[in-house]
Amino acid sequence: MSRRPSSGLVARTTRFAGAGTVTPLLATAAAWLLFGRRQLADVVMIYLLGIIVVSLRFGYGPSILAAVLSVLLLDFFFVPPYLSFAVSDFQHVVMFGVMFVVAVVISHLTRRVRLQDEQAHRASSQMEAERLRNALLSSVSHDLRTPLSVITGAASALLRSAPPLDPAARSDLAETIHEEAQRLDRLVRNLLDMTRLASGAVHVAKEWQAIEGVVGAALGRLAEPLRGRSVEVRISPALPSVPIDDLLIEQALINLLENAAKYTPQGTPLELSADAADGTVVVALADRGPGIPGELMDRIFEKFYRLPREGAGGGGGLGLAICRGIVEAHGGRIWAENREGGGAVFRFALPLGGTPPELRPEEGP
Amino acid sequence: MSARTLLLIDDEPQVLRFLRSSLASTGYRLFEAATGQAGLAEAAARRPDIILLDLGLPDIDGIEVARRLREWTETPIIVLSARGQDQDKIAALDAGADDYLTKPFSLPELLARIRVAERHAEQLGDKKDAIFTLDDLRIDLASRVVTLGGDEVRLTPIEYKLLTTLARKAGHVLTYQQLLKDVWGPRYATQKQYLHVYMGHLRNKLERDPARPRFLVTESGVGYRLKVE
Repeated sequence: MSRRPSSGLVARTTRFAGAGTVTPLLATAAAWLLFGRRQLADVVMIYLLGIIVVSLRFGYGPSILAAVLSVLLLDFFFVPPYLSFAVSDFQHVVMFGVMFVVAVVISHLTRRVRLQDEQAHRASSQMEAERLRNALLSSVSHDLRTPLSVITGAASALLRSAPPLDPAARSDLAETIHEEAQRLDRLVRNLLDMTRLASGAVHVAKEWQAIEGVVGAALGRLAEPLRGRSVEVRISPALPSVPIDDLLIEQALINLLENAAKYTPQGTPLELSADAADGTVVVALADRGPGIPGELMDRIFEKFYRLPREGAGGGGGLGLAICRGIVEAHGGRIWAENREGGGAVFRFALPLGGTPPELRPEEGP
Repeated sequence: MSARTLLLIDDEPQVLRFLRSSLASTGYRLFEAATGQAGLAEAAARRPDIILLDLGLPDIDGIEVARRLREWTETPIIVLSARGQDQDKIAALDAGADDYLTKPFSLPELLARIRVAERHAEQLGDKKDAIFTLDDLRIDLASRVVTLGGDEVRLTPIEYKLLTTLARKAGHVLTYQQLLKDVWGPRYATQKQYLHVYMGHLRNKLERDPARPRFLVTESGVGYRLKVE
């Protein structure tokens, strides 16, 4: 990674110098074929055209290089005495000067245009960042405030209720506080994960391992929210190991499962499978919920996006964006489809990219 | 029998308050320390049955506290860590802590961890027990025979060693490093792929549904645990 910029710089420099050199040569050939030595003014035009192209495409330095070369080539091939850099007529010296000045002016102008372009681009990406920040703020403040107000309300009711509440009401309030606190925890967790993923602070520690262990860990952690549902797990015993960061992939699976638990009707079945396909391992979670409207199929993986029916109090619209961040950090991809017979299926593919390291065989019986 | 005693080393008064009121009805006596130094002194003075150790202490590193405690006591240590402290958590476990809980945790989770720690502390005094049982899993440590539901399960020497290493600390999490060192030797301490592969073999032999293990549980990013409840 650290070597890339320097080798990129070398490649860039070579390309730019090439453009500054090759273009005047091409102009020479074109002028020779089109006009020969008779129409010097048209020949000059061809050279200027070449310089404009270089300055538009490659910038200031290459276009100056092209200008110098153009003057030299023009002198050598088209100005008497031919095939020599000597100049017999002072008029030609003036022409070279004018041609050079025109080239420099053109280069300056195109550079100004380029800079303005870049500024406009920066401004629009700043606006995009600003928009994201605003979306974050409004989403977070809303999502934080809802559980906080419920917790505050329920706790104050527990603390000062006269006449005293009956036990059923008390435990109802306590349960509400517990649920809302868990929601807050989930939101804070998601925000932390998303911030770390977005800032590139997440270190992906890949190790070759069976996906099965991670699936088991995720299902174990979600036993409570998945209570009352059948989750059919189908993992082929012949499935190869994959290079994954188990903690991150577990998080991605947890987010997908939490999502399914939240947005599909209570008691509907889920199917979790893992299969090998084209040098990847594809993990799929299928549900029998309401499915996803076709036009939103990609948007659901965006930050802060919620389905219209979703309403308040989820994970801040970040759960699937985190999944995508994790899967892409593994060099994989994630997508959703609707199922035949109703429901949605979320899939992510993780590249194998090689073979697991050889293990020393066990000695002895 | 006198009440069981817990020492909580944590500088956050809210956590203290939550534990003080919720442990009051469970028969545990709670001692408190707000710094690492005070914690080490309290541990020596009170000789608690269990130590709960927060990793974010104001004076000494929680990892260092675990290390210094382990110089003179085998008292079970349960580490309390916040999210994002994964590396510290693993370091504390490698330094001798027995288990961990990630904040925020619930009272039932805490009590379950405490029960496991207590059970293990009792077993330490009675090491002659040559038979380990867990549901229908039975390990005869004297004859080196493992049975599941009465049927013998054939294990390779490494699989057997991996299983018994986990069983010796049943209920506790063992880090990748601890397992690799104990089963394969110190030269293998970073060769996690061995562990992943052999754990897969062991699951295939002992679990009815390897993707939903009853016994051999993955603690992602940390290690493995032989689950007891």
